[in-house]
Amino acid sequence: MENKRNHFRAPVADTFRRKSPFGQLLDHMEKVRECIDILGDGLTSYYKGDYKGFSELAENVSKIEHEADLIKRNLRNHLPSSLFMPVDKGKFLWALREQDAILDHAENLAKMLDMRHTKIPKKLQDVFIEHAKLVMKTVEAMQDAVGNIRDLIETSFVKREREQTKQFIYKVHEYEWKADQKKLEVTKGIYKLEKKLDPMDVYHLLKIADWVDDIADHAENVADWLRAMIAK
Amino acid sequence: MDPTLLFIAGGAAAIGFYMAWSIGANDVANSMATAVGAKAITFKQAVLIAGILNFAGAILLGPHVAGTIKGGIVKGSMIADPHTLLLGFVASLLAAALWVTLSTWRELPISTTHSVVGALIGFGIIAGGVSSIDWSVMGKVASSWVLSPVVGCIIAFFVFKVIVKTIFAKDKPVKAAKIVGPLAIGVTAFLIVSSLFLKTKLSEMSGVSDLPQVLLISTVISAIACIIALFLLRNIEAKSVEDYITVEGIFRKLQIVTSCYVAFSHGANDVANAIAPVAAIIPLANGEMSLTAGIPTELLALGGIGIAFGCLTWGRRVMKTVGGRITNLTNTRGFSVDFAAATTVLVASKLGLPISTSHTVVGAVIGVGLARGLEAIDLSVIKKIVVSWLLTVPIAAATSAVIFICLRAIVG
Repeated sequence: MENKRNHFRAPVADTFRRKSPFGQLLDHMEKVRECIDILGDGLTSYYKGDYKGFSELAENVSKIEHEADLIKRNLRNHLPSSLFMPVDKGKFLWALREQDAILDHAENLAKMLDMRHTKIPKKLQDVFIEHAKLVMKTVEAMQDAVGNIRDLIETSFVKREREQTKQFIYKVHEYEWKADQKKLEVTKGIYKLEKKLDPMDVYHLLKIADWVDDIADHAENVADWLRAMIAK
Repeated sequence: MDPTLLFIAGGAAAIGFYMAWSIGANDVANSMATAVGAKAITFKQAVLIAGILNFAGAILLGPHVAGTIKGGIVKGSMIADPHTLLLGFVASLLAAALWVTLSTWRELPISTTHSVVGALIGFGIIAGGVSSIDWSVMGKVASSWVLSPVVGCIIAFFVFKVIVKTIFAKDKPVKAAKIVGPLAIGVTAFLIVSSLFLKTKLSEMSGVSDLPQVLLISTVISAIACIIALFLLRNIEAKSVEDYITVEGIFRKLQIVTSCYVAFSHGANDVANAIAPVAAIIPLANGEMSLTAGIPTELLALGGIGIAFGCLTWGRRVMKTVGGRITNLTNTRGFSVDFAAATTVLVASKLGLPISTSHTVVGAVIGVGLARGLEAIDLSVIKKIVVSWLLTVPIAAATSAVIFICLRAIVG
């Protein structure tokens, strides 16, 4: 509360929080969306061996991550114990934390890719790109699921909206599973080429696959916490 | 009339008007803010509705609560001297006005009602001892302070649950809202009309007084209101199953009616805080001993005008600030809050119980929150309100006692 007094008695105003926590969670998700959009495109070019503009992209991702951090901090710092929410506050914060982890991983990935331009072998390019696309799809599915929070709240968590959210969550699981399968394919491909590749390259290729896949894992975690939030 | 006494009567009326102004500026704006925050009405409309309907509520239903404050708390028979009584009421009016001003300045969630009642107790105890207070009435009043927010909370909880079950959970929410909405308007109309004809001036004037007759009139009028609402909403169509915006749009229209309901009930209850002490002072200044006599309509009108004036001047600012803060209150929620708060206040007014509208509104908001209707509510406000319950009465009582002792020393 600001120190400036308005000189009137209005206890009803004290009942409300200035910003809605769910609104802020969705704002944070917008940052994830923004970040994943540019990272998705960037990864495809990178995998194809086009490193032009990747440094700027890494900078951009870093900037978005920072903006999202501010939203997260603001949200987390202003959830006093006296605040009553229609969902479990702990689960809500876990969802936020996992959503933020997506950005952390995106930032680290972009920075690492920028540090050492690892050439993706021609043979593996396609499967790498497919893997990245599946990961981005997982995140997008998660965004749909989280975005449905608006309707959930508006209807006070009626069955129809909970079912719909669950459908979105199934999609997340489906894509995450596909991404996992694709990652195994990527890893297998890398090991197949291990004799021909520089060991440092092998290390980095494995790392890249891991880190990209981590993004999907965290997106799935967000969906899981959302599922726990809406469970009856 | 003695010029000094004329001065006292005039001064009392002026302070009473100031109290009414303060109620209009703060409490009315506070209770109308839910409608403004939910964007059901604009500030201008809110001010207009609040002004007119508070006035109507004050004149038509004001006497019940005013009677309690004026003659129910301090037993006039225990303090035989009209002079002492006069000083006492002047002291309590001053103390209440002072305390209300201070709390407004410091933004404490304090109720005008509690200040006035506390002030009366203060002078009563000093003037006639502890036994001069009618503790059974006081007990009822005090329990109504705790009960009114709780009842508001419970009603709001259930109203919102009903809205969820009968509208949002249905396969076609908009279609359901087009039927449930008018029914809700019917219930609102029934409550208002029946309250108007049960033991009021209007029932005396129209000669309608027995219960079956009142029920019949109320049912007919609420049926008409229901049909009009059905007719007005007939052309609204859903754009999709999940067209909750249209549902809210329907409730936006309904909320215009419930905000009138809030303003009306508010006038019925709170006008007493401002004019009940004045209504006691003026006849006493004339040398009459008539604490039990009725409240003159002119005084109720003065209070009503004061409240309306308060809305017009300061209330706009309050509504703007509060309304801006409660933007996540949508129309279905706003409707539940308004309906619950107004019904609680109206029933309390009929029972002659002076309660705090602001606290009841807070209770209703919490009720909707507990029904999982709000994104977040800050329950720390409960603590503030409880503290205000515990502190307002003793402090107002002490202030009034001090002023009373000073006045007695000066006037002799």
